[in-house]
Amino acid sequence: MSLDAIPIHVIPLHVSLAPPAEPGLTGNAPPLLREISELLRRLLETGETAAIDLSALPLTLADLDWLSVKLGEGEIAVTLQASGESTLNETACPGVWWVTHHNEQGAVTSQFIEVAFVPELVKAHPQDVEIGREYLELLISDL
Amino acid sequence: MQGPLIDSLVRQGVSRRTFLKYCATLASMMALPPIAGRAMAEAIAASRRPSVIWLPFQECTGCTESITRSHSPTIEGMIFDMISLDYQETLMAAAGFQAEEALHSAMKDNYGKYLLIIDGSIPLGVDGAYSCIAGRSNLELLKEAAKGAAAIVAMGSCASFGGIPKANPNPTGAVSVSDIIKDKPIVNIPGCPPIPVVMTGVLAHYLTFGSLPELDDKGRPKAFFGETIHDRCYRRPFYDQGKFAKTFDDEGARNGWCLFELGCKGPVTHNACATTKWNGGTSWPVESGHGCLGCSEPDFWDAGGFYKALSMPADPLKIAAAAAVVGAAAGVAVSVANRAKRSAAKSAHETTSLADLEK
Repeated sequence: MSLDAIPIHVIPLHVSLAPPAEPGLTGNAPPLLREISELLRRLLETGETAAIDLSALPLTLADLDWLSVKLGEGEIAVTLQASGESTLNETACPGVWWVTHHNEQGAVTSQFIEVAFVPELVKAHPQDVEIGREYLELLISDL
Repeated sequence: MQGPLIDSLVRQGVSRRTFLKYCATLASMMALPPIAGRAMAEAIAASRRPSVIWLPFQECTGCTESITRSHSPTIEGMIFDMISLDYQETLMAAAGFQAEEALHSAMKDNYGKYLLIIDGSIPLGVDGAYSCIAGRSNLELLKEAAKGAAAIVAMGSCASFGGIPKANPNPTGAVSVSDIIKDKPIVNIPGCPPIPVVMTGVLAHYLTFGSLPELDDKGRPKAFFGETIHDRCYRRPFYDQGKFAKTFDDEGARNGWCLFELGCKGPVTHNACATTKWNGGTSWPVESGHGCLGCSEPDFWDAGGFYKALSMPADPLKIAAAAAVVGAAAGVAVSVANRAKRSAAKSAHETTSLADLEK
């Protein structure tokens, strides 16, 4: 069998189809797009939500920038004030959210891509709603 | 998400969202899948606060300081809501017989179920007389308390490996917890002091999964001690480019180059400082311009001098045999360079080099 029979070929670097490498890009970000697409398919079919922990992956700041530029900005940006600011921003792909948690000092403590119709943190918890209703009742009784 | 703990947090003004956010970050730090953050929040919120007994032995209280002063208002402070801390001499209001009573009733009421935290080493010299509480030696107390413990957490390098009391010539005959207790699960959280979030992480894991996290060969949680300081150091690219600070005040030091030649023990030290940082994420030793001392490794005090460069460059491929010769040569080269620098510094009288610090 000749080498040509193998359907995988080495592409010499000078004719590489890949974009010229920018400094700081590791090539670890592009595969995430496929993973996100798969997670979206699952969300649509089963309603199952998912998240990708960006701090757990070997991504450089340049990789994160690349990913964030590719995913773009959507219509909704949520800011949460809970021991430091958190931002939950919809990307240009509805259902894909870029979630960044900061501590009180403003440092990023963790970063996720969440695939969901609405991110978990945005929803009000029934018990908190109950507390809010009790508060309203109190207001009404004072009228 | 409901239960006694979250109710008490909400009463203290910690919202459910704050708690969820905290658990998500904690899960991320422990390299657990994102979904675990949610599971952790559910489990911890509903947990029935396990009884924790904290015994201080031959120690400096630095470990306690690290934990108690860490919380930027509430976060690591949650640890004290997650557990029922039934005995901790430094923090408890009771003293004397009352304190001893609290210890014994906690041990009796929660026999087989409590978590035992130890900080400090255990001196064996002169029948343990070097460190006693209520007239009983640390050895005796440890053996008694360990009997009914579900698991033991050795807080800090002294409890984990003997630490500074064990440093040569070890006058008190100090040993670690694992040198004495052989029949209980022991988690080592070394560091001088240890990183607070590691403690919270171990507790959260215990509450969520009912077991201790995965440990490395030195009994340390892999999630935090799986990589070296060097692996995750933001100065690592300079090491790879061969750019080293040669003194603490040269151009390299000002440019933030690698501190390897100034004695940084990062390449052989497993800890999470480079990622979790200290003082609420403000900075950490290497970021402030000083090499890592290697405080989370056994016998770091006797590891050959804080300002002496490691004799062998870190070898990620572990080609030990071939590298040994090269490494020895590199070590000689560094020490020759150090000697040259010392005389240069002496004549110039302007720079302070590692060689000056290392008499």
